[in-house]
Amino acid sequence: MKITDSAFKKPKDLPGLHILSAGTSICAGCGGLQAIHEILDILGPKTVTVNAAGCMSLLSVYPFTPFSGSWLYTAMASAPAGAQGVRDALDRLLATKKIAADEDMQVVVLSGDGSATGIGLSATSGAIDRRLDFIYICYDNEGYGNTGQQSSGGTPHGARTTTSRGEQGYCGHKKDLFSIWKANHPAYLATVSGAEPLDLARKIEKARAIKGPSLIIAFSPCPTGWHFPPQESIEIGRLAVRTGVWPLKEYEDGKVVHTKIPAGRLPVTEYLQKQGRFAHLFHPGNAYLIKEMQADVDAYWDCVEKSAATGR
Amino acid sequence: MYRIRFHGRGGQGMKMASHILGTAFFLAGFEVQDAPRFGAERRGAPIFAYVRAQKAPIKERGIISHPGLVLVADESLVPLPAAGILHGVEETTVLFLNSREGGAVWKARLNFPGTVLALDLIGNDLNQPGGQRFFGAICAGAAAALTGVIPEDVLMQAIEDELIHVEAIVVQENKTRARAAFLAMQDKAGIVEEGSGVKVDGYRRPAWIDVPLDDAGLAAPAIHGRRTSELMKTGAWRLRKPVIDTCRCKGCWWVCSTFCPDSAIVVESGRPRIDYDHCKGCMICMVQCSSHAISLVNEKEEVSGE
Repeated sequence: MKITDSAFKKPKDLPGLHILSAGTSICAGCGGLQAIHEILDILGPKTVTVNAAGCMSLLSVYPFTPFSGSWLYTAMASAPAGAQGVRDALDRLLATKKIAADEDMQVVVLSGDGSATGIGLSATSGAIDRRLDFIYICYDNEGYGNTGQQSSGGTPHGARTTTSRGEQGYCGHKKDLFSIWKANHPAYLATVSGAEPLDLARKIEKARAIKGPSLIIAFSPCPTGWHFPPQESIEIGRLAVRTGVWPLKEYEDGKVVHTKIPAGRLPVTEYLQKQGRFAHLFHPGNAYLIKEMQADVDAYWDCVEKSAATGR
Repeated sequence: MYRIRFHGRGGQGMKMASHILGTAFFLAGFEVQDAPRFGAERRGAPIFAYVRAQKAPIKERGIISHPGLVLVADESLVPLPAAGILHGVEETTVLFLNSREGGAVWKARLNFPGTVLALDLIGNDLNQPGGQRFFGAICAGAAAALTGVIPEDVLMQAIEDELIHVEAIVVQENKTRARAAFLAMQDKAGIVEEGSGVKVDGYRRPAWIDVPLDDAGLAAPAIHGRRTSELMKTGAWRLRKPVIDTCRCKGCWWVCSTFCPDSAIVVESGRPRIDYDHCKGCMICMVQCSSHAISLVNEKEEVSGE
């Protein structure tokens, strides 16, 4: 699909009415909720959401729900298995004509990075193997946010979390969920940011139209866990894109395309200095960590430019 | 037994306040319990924490229902039934508020049976990013002074012990506020007295049960209903609110409405309207509005201006 085919050409094409209702127990300024509400605006009301345990478990606290469609809560490891059951049930209802074709629902998995990059990975792998027709939405707040921001497979190198309090922060590296999925040949795969709503809308539009397993990884700035004032959420999302820390890209028909290549990338320090979880990187003696981060980002984009030049 | 309850909002350091006071009691030779209760467990939502302390082992468990001292970090919580500040207060209960208004005003307003003390150490913390997290230290400092059994140096030691993982500057900020509250309340040292034990055989079943009245829709929502979370008025989490200046608003509604995480900015005839029943006051809309048509108003200021 080209941009000219998209229903979202300019900002005013974005929906002004929101599918997800207000009144949820999610933190003020939550970047994850911000991205999820944009995503659901495009997916529409006919969704069944299968929610792995995480921050977003609090979206639908019995008996209240912000959804128009159904919501199923699963353990952290098994959301894609739950999605398989829901999809099979819908298919059965369609086959036996108990529901009409226009009553079909989109099956969506909602999970955090802890489940998506770690605990839930094996159920995810199985669902892709079975070519399950579903959209997996990972709100990536780079840690186990619901329990107080312990480090997860999604935590970036050097970030301070409640389980990486040392002077150098988290010693592991952020797992590349995009590449893990890509290696499994999904139908569609994309990274999005709530701070870039048009890019997000076009990608969700595509994911909705394509059959088979799709993944959307949504950058989710977390005021509570990353230690910044709630009002900065969008600005931090924008800086993540402009510094090149969060590449916006998609995978389709065996090819990866970068949908927004930041021109004149800002230094990563612009992004890091806004967040308390990186404050220790600016202490004397930790300058090498910032240098490493900048080198990683530069190497990534060099590689992107090279592959663009050679057409591979 | 000292029975002390701290009330605040998520992010105002109430859990830390109870830890600090608990540790201070312990260092002063007491047996101690301290525990937080989170409720919605989210920044801005009402939470409370409590401390029990006495020289003998403590056998009492659960939430404190007859407090000797109630400390309120944030006066905007007082009218919220969910916060439960006045729960179980008696003639012997001392109420402490971190407030710009005096104790006499609050005593009259609340028809409070016991002593009411107020101290304005809010300063600039309300509007500084993360400033509200120091409210806990103010309450811990005041509580230590009011019991009259915790010396200042013990309080300072407790702060250092509890904040061992925190940067030195933050520890210092906490100490400064705790000390200020401690010194301001020192002339009232000992006003909070130990309460007597609660005896099981003395328990009488209450003659009536107080049930707060909710709307029928909230008390018994349709569980198959859509979008029922709207019944939850999360606007009560808010200390500051965004206000749209309709003259400056250029009607590019997509910015504020799309970036509001909570779907709390609705678009009507091409114009944004803030849904104050649900706005949590994150202020993303104010920062993102390119025509600077949204400004910040403190909830408290608006109330007193009326």
